[in-house]
Amino acid sequence: LSYTSRILARCRVEDGPEGSAYFWAEPDLLLGHEATVALLLDRLEAAGLSVRHPERCLFAADHFVPPATSERAGILRRYLDWLDTQGLDRSHVFQGISHQIMLEDRRLQPGMFVAGADSHTTMAGALGAAAAGFGSTDMLVAFGLGRVAVRVPEVIKLAFVGDLPRDRGIGTRDLALSMMSRFGQSGLGYRSLEVCDRTTTGLDMAVRASFANQGVDAGAKFCVWWPDHVTSEFIRARDGVSPDPSQWNVPEEGFGEPDVEVDVSDLVPLVARPPDPSDVVPVGQVAGTPIHQAFVGSCAGGRLEDIAEAAEVLQGRQVATGVRLVITPASRAVYLAALRAGHVETLVAAGAQVTDSSCGACGGIDKGLLGPGEVCVSTSNRNFRGRMGDPDALVYLASARTAAASALMGRLTDPREVSQ
Amino acid sequence: MTGDLPLQGQALVLGHDVNTDELHPSRFFSLDDARVRSGFLQAVPGRRGEAIEGHRIVVAGRNFGIGSSRETGARVFVLSGVQAVVAESYGRIFERNVMNLGLPAFVCPGIHGKVEEGEALSIDLQTRVLITTKGTYPLQSVDPYQQALVDAGGLMAWLGLSDGASS
Repeated sequence: LSYTSRILARCRVEDGPEGSAYFWAEPDLLLGHEATVALLLDRLEAAGLSVRHPERCLFAADHFVPPATSERAGILRRYLDWLDTQGLDRSHVFQGISHQIMLEDRRLQPGMFVAGADSHTTMAGALGAAAAGFGSTDMLVAFGLGRVAVRVPEVIKLAFVGDLPRDRGIGTRDLALSMMSRFGQSGLGYRSLEVCDRTTTGLDMAVRASFANQGVDAGAKFCVWWPDHVTSEFIRARDGVSPDPSQWNVPEEGFGEPDVEVDVSDLVPLVARPPDPSDVVPVGQVAGTPIHQAFVGSCAGGRLEDIAEAAEVLQGRQVATGVRLVITPASRAVYLAALRAGHVETLVAAGAQVTDSSCGACGGIDKGLLGPGEVCVSTSNRNFRGRMGDPDALVYLASARTAAASALMGRLTDPREVSQ
Repeated sequence: MTGDLPLQGQALVLGHDVNTDELHPSRFFSLDDARVRSGFLQAVPGRRGEAIEGHRIVVAGRNFGIGSSRETGARVFVLSGVQAVVAESYGRIFERNVMNLGLPAFVCPGIHGKVEEGEALSIDLQTRVLITTKGTYPLQSVDPYQQALVDAGGLMAWLGLSDGASS
């Protein structure tokens, strides 16, 4: 049995219709934010449902924060009022992007099944959870009845070996981009990607989170990193107590032989060319392309490690004249840590515009949208046509190191060319 | 939807890897149905500003509807009069969303390039084929759970729950 199937088997509560591969499972954690939950408030009421397991829910507000239009203010208001009248926990709203605050939440532990009202819910797989996104109707049932219909996905086992060449311009996002290149936009379709870290020094949680986040864009239902000493250390630092690995429910036989083994030692700085997140080439191949904006943010690339990469490149330097460098920390905790580390001062001095934590530019919502013909290099996860604004804008996905180097030069730049 | 009557409509043809940001850009996200409907296909190349009228059957290539979980991206199909969706394969969340709203989504391997825009199409639910002016194409069987959702008119109806959003 795979780790994924063990997790789902533990949560199974009822069979589906006769002959169906689907069954009902109770998620350990449910994730919602104002944009998708707002769609189902009237429907919950019409169905006579309220939230069945409030203690399993994480309700964020990250899409319309602060709202850029009065309509969005109204949507946010309805959501906040609903949380209040239902007596639900509002302590997570305005704390940051839902996927990042899920990772920061002590309730998230390895071996959990997580259902979220957003496609990038897969990111909780960084901690060893089977986490997937669902639409509003599935989430309505998940909130109201505490269950969701699932089937056990096929599993692909991937092991990383070697050592990430951090001294050669590699950023946190590059491993995720290499995965998009390997699997394409559908290569993991409906499957669970289980990942084992066998690298020499271990891949940190930021790399794992960025990778698990991006998994959905290769079609993965789940992207489950097998929990290990890096996971334990992350939980110990987060919770102040060491976790008990016997609670993780990992298969006794261990990870075993992978289907795919990838040596990370040869990784080079990468970009995904628009409008396909799997059209990945070394930065060098597109170097020199003029840019109008660089964006360091989103659930995929707005963590402290990403912001630190940008600060390191831009320390004591100035962003090219006329280029917008937008920095959006993934959460309030990330923002505070970046402030304390001095990264925010470094970046603002270099000419960056730092925004409050939200989905913002990545989702084409606000704070850094693109006009017709504009070119952006972004640490986010999607470069689809129209994703960050005008359908005729072009978005190159890259690491924060590459985004900062490009902002410095005003054109797509391999970060190794500007290392200091 | 009853199981006896064929589904009919004019073909609305889309390509491979069409994502939800193209099908329904996030700026059309709204609680207002008219606003949601106005965003249909607004970032699909060559279809900006196009008005979609009448009963349509959408025919697409592989990996249809990849991307966001925003259900407005599926609901806009219902609001726009789409009768059924036929594609070579789907983005997982989009496929669930479509059937959760009671709209049938069929898998038809190799259909990309076989149907012309505006062509009269029908789907025979008994024999599970897509009938075009040039031929018939078999549709893959769907899981009994998904079939139950479509037969009932959506997940809420199948669960016996009243749904404030049914349309």
